[in-house]
Amino acid sequence: MGKSVIFNQLTGLNQIVGNWPGKTVEKAEGSLYFEGHKIHIIDLPGIYSLSAYSIEELVARDYIIKEKPDVVINVLDASALERNLYFTIQLIELEVPIVIALNQVDFAAKKGIRIDEKKLSKSLGIPVIPTVAVTGLGLKELLSAVLKVVEGKDAVKPLQVTYGKEIEERISKLQKAVLDLLPEASAKYPPRWLAVKLLERDPEIVKQLKGSEKGRMVVEIADGLAKEIEGLHGEPSVVIIASERYGIASRLASEAQRFFAPPRLTIGERMDSITAHKFLGYPFLAGVMTLTFLTIFILGGILIGYLEALFDDFLIPLFMGFIAPLVPPWLGRIVKEGILSGIAAGVTIALPYVVPFYLILAILEDTGYLPRAAFLMDNLMHKIGLHGKAFIPLLLGYGCNVPACIGCRIMETERERLLAAFVTVLIPCAARTVVILGLVGEFVGLHAALGLYAFDLIIVFILGRIAFKALPGEPIGLIMEMPPYKVPSSKVVLKKTWFRTKEFVYVAFPLIVFGSTILSTLETMGLMESLAEAMRPLIVGWLGLPATAGIPLIFGILRKELTLILLAQLIGTTKFSTVLTSRQMVIFSMVTMIYIPCIATIAALIKEFGWKRAFGISLLDVTLALFMGGLANFILQAWPIV
Amino acid sequence: MAKLELKGENPNSLVNQLSHELGLPENEVEETISLAIKRGFLQREEGFFRLTEKGRNEVLAHRERYVHDRYVHPSMPFGRISRLFDGTIRNWSFHWRSKHGMDDEALEGLYDRLRSFQGRIENALPLSQLREGKRGVVVFTFGGRGLVQRLAEMGLTPGTEVTIVREAPFHGPIEVRVRGVSLALGHGIASRIFVKPLE
Repeated sequence: MGKSVIFNQLTGLNQIVGNWPGKTVEKAEGSLYFEGHKIHIIDLPGIYSLSAYSIEELVARDYIIKEKPDVVINVLDASALERNLYFTIQLIELEVPIVIALNQVDFAAKKGIRIDEKKLSKSLGIPVIPTVAVTGLGLKELLSAVLKVVEGKDAVKPLQVTYGKEIEERISKLQKAVLDLLPEASAKYPPRWLAVKLLERDPEIVKQLKGSEKGRMVVEIADGLAKEIEGLHGEPSVVIIASERYGIASRLASEAQRFFAPPRLTIGERMDSITAHKFLGYPFLAGVMTLTFLTIFILGGILIGYLEALFDDFLIPLFMGFIAPLVPPWLGRIVKEGILSGIAAGVTIALPYVVPFYLILAILEDTGYLPRAAFLMDNLMHKIGLHGKAFIPLLLGYGCNVPACIGCRIMETERERLLAAFVTVLIPCAARTVVILGLVGEFVGLHAALGLYAFDLIIVFILGRIAFKALPGEPIGLIMEMPPYKVPSSKVVLKKTWFRTKEFVYVAFPLIVFGSTILSTLETMGLMESLAEAMRPLIVGWLGLPATAGIPLIFGILRKELTLILLAQLIGTTKFSTVLTSRQMVIFSMVTMIYIPCIATIAALIKEFGWKRAFGISLLDVTLALFMGGLANFILQAWPIV
Repeated sequence: MAKLELKGENPNSLVNQLSHELGLPENEVEETISLAIKRGFLQREEGFFRLTEKGRNEVLAHRERYVHDRYVHPSMPFGRISRLFDGTIRNWSFHWRSKHGMDDEALEGLYDRLRSFQGRIENALPLSQLREGKRGVVVFTFGGRGLVQRLAEMGLTPGTEVTIVREAPFHGPIEVRVRGVSLALGHGIASRIFVKPLE
C-alpha cells in the first residue's frame, strides 16, 4: 500500500493508484532530479514475497536480479510491520542495497502503534525513513538516504538472516555444491539465496537449473536435503523456511514497535461491519451499483442536453459559416458530416456518460471498497470457476475493458486469467453504456436499459459456467488482502479521472473522426447503398434492423460508441425514436453490447493471451451476438414487451 | 478407535499410562489391546506394545475417516445432509477427487499430514468451522504445494494465532486477522487450514 503513491509523488507521473491489491501489474518508470543527480525510478508490482507464485512476483524478482538496481526502496506499511518485514527479509537475502520507507506512520499512530525507526534501522542494518506518502512527508529524506547509499557514504550492513541449525547446515552444504558445480549461476544469483530457494524447491529456479547436467545434480542434492528437513519437522520445506522468516520478522517488529493505546476499532473497521456484513453487505453493494448507474444516467442526460444545444445551434453553424465559402460543396459536406459531427457526437454522446463513470470508479477504487465487493461476491464467482478477486476486473470492465483485461493478472493461474478475461470482455464498458443508455435508456425507457444489463449478466454467468466446465484444470480459492478503508483523496480521484478521460479522448476521438469521415466519404461517393445492400439479409432479415444499421456495426469494432454516433449520422438525427422502433433499438444495443471487443480490447487480449485466443474470443462473441440478436428479434416480435 | 489412534502416536505406552491418559479403567484398555492384538494391529514386545504395519494403516484410515466426516464433509454446502447419501466409502482417493475437488498433489499433502500428525486429530478444527470472533492457533495446512506455500507466506504458518473477523453467508469466504493484516480466505481454502481453537 502506498507504493504507487510514493512513486507518483517522486516522479509526478500518473501511475494509476487504487486501494486494492495488485493494481500495478506492469512496471512503470519515471525520473527526477534531486540535488544535482538524475534519479531513475521504477515502480514494481506490489508483492509480499519473492517466490515465483504469481506473475507480479516473477516480474519483480527478475527485475531485481537481472537489472541490479542501485537501490531498492522497500515501502513498508507501518500498521502491518511484521507482515511487511517478511518481504524485507527476502530482499536482504537477495543481497541488494535497500532503503526502507516506513509508510503510513500516521495511520499506524491512529491504530495505536508507534514504531521506533532508529531501533528498526539499527537491527536491520538498513536506513529507515518514516513517510506519509499522500502528503509527501519524508520523501526528501528518503531521497537523501537513497543517494547516500548509492554514493557509499552510508555504510549499509544488512542483518544476516540466519535460520535454525538444521537448516543452516544444509544451506551451507548446498551453497558449496552450487559454488563448485555451477560457477556461472552463482555469478548471476547470490549463491546463498540460490541455496535457500533450492531448499524451498522454487519451481522457477529448479526449471532453470534442470537445463544442464550439473544443474540437475544440484537439484537432486537439494531435493535430498529438503527431504531431510521435512523429515525433521514434518512440514514441507517452504513452510518451515517461511515460518523461520516470520519468526525473525516477528522478533524485529516486536522490538521496534510499541502499542501506546489499546487497539480501538477504526472508522474503517466500523464501516466494514455494514459494508462487508454477511447480510447487510449485499443490499449495500446493490445500492452502490444502482446509485452509480442512476448518477451516470441522470448526470449524463443533463450534460447531453446542454452540450447538444451548444454544438448543434452554435458551434457547428459558426464553424461552417467560416469554412463553407472556402471549399467546394462536396468537401464542405464531408467536413460537416464527417469531422464536425464526429467530434460533436463524441463530445455530446460519449463524454457525458464516460466522465461521471470514471469519477465514481475512481472514488470506489480509492476508498478500498472493491476488495469488500470481491469478498461478498466470492461465492457467486465460484459458480463460474473463479473466485472473488475476479469481481474486481469485472467491475473495472464497466469502465473500460482494456485495463480490466490487464487487471485479470490479479488472478493466480493462466487458466483463471483467461476465464476472467473471457467474461470481462462481455461486460458493457463505458462506451457500450453510451449506446445502451443513449439509445435504449433515453428512447425506450430506463427499465429496458437495466433489463439489458441484467441480460448481459445472465449471459456472463452462463458463458462463464460453460467455459469453466470446458477449460481443464482445478479452480483455486480466494486468498486476498483486505486493505483498510480510507477517505478517498480528492487529488488522487480527480487526477485519475482526468488521466483516464484524457486517454479516452486521445484513443477514441481520432477513431471517431476517422470512422465518421470515411463514412461520410462513402456516402458522398454513393457507395453506402451497395454496402448496406450486401448486408441486408443479415441485418434486415435476421436482426430486423433497418439496412443502414449494418454499417455502424462494422465501424463499431473501432470503438463501441461509434455505432451510435454513426447511426445518428446515417439517419440524420439524434432523435433515434423517429426512425427506429423500440424493438430495433433494443436489438441494436444488444448486438453492440456483445458482438466483438473493440480493437483496443482485442489488442489487450492479444498481448495477454496471444493471437489465437484473442481471435477465438472475438469470433465467439460475434457469433453469440448475432445469434442472440436474431433470437431477440423473433421473441420480441412474438411478445412485444418493449 | 480413538484409543488406537492414541497408541499410534505413542506405540510404546504402557497400559496404566494409557488408561491414565484416556481416563478409562485399566481393564477396558486391556480388553481393547487384546482385541487389537487379535486383529493384528498391535504386537507385544518386551512389555511394550508396538503398532504393526496393519495397525498403522488402520490408524491412518481412522484419521482419514475422522477428518472427512467431522471436518471436510460438513464444511461443504449441505455437507451434513449429503454425507448421509455417501454410504460407506470404498474408494477414498476417488471420493476425495470427485467430491472434494482434490488433485494428486493435494491428496498427497493430505496423506502426508495424516501420517505425520502429532497429537490427537480430534483437537484440531478447520478454520472454516471457527465462528465469528473466535481465535485459533494454526496447527497445519494441507493442499497442493502452491497453496501451502502461499498460506505460509501470507503468515499462516504453524503456531500463528488467527482471529475470525467475519464470515460471508452460505459457506462464503471468511475474513481473518493474522499478524496484524486482514485476509479474505475462500471457504475451500479455509477448510484446509486446521487450527486449535482458543478460548
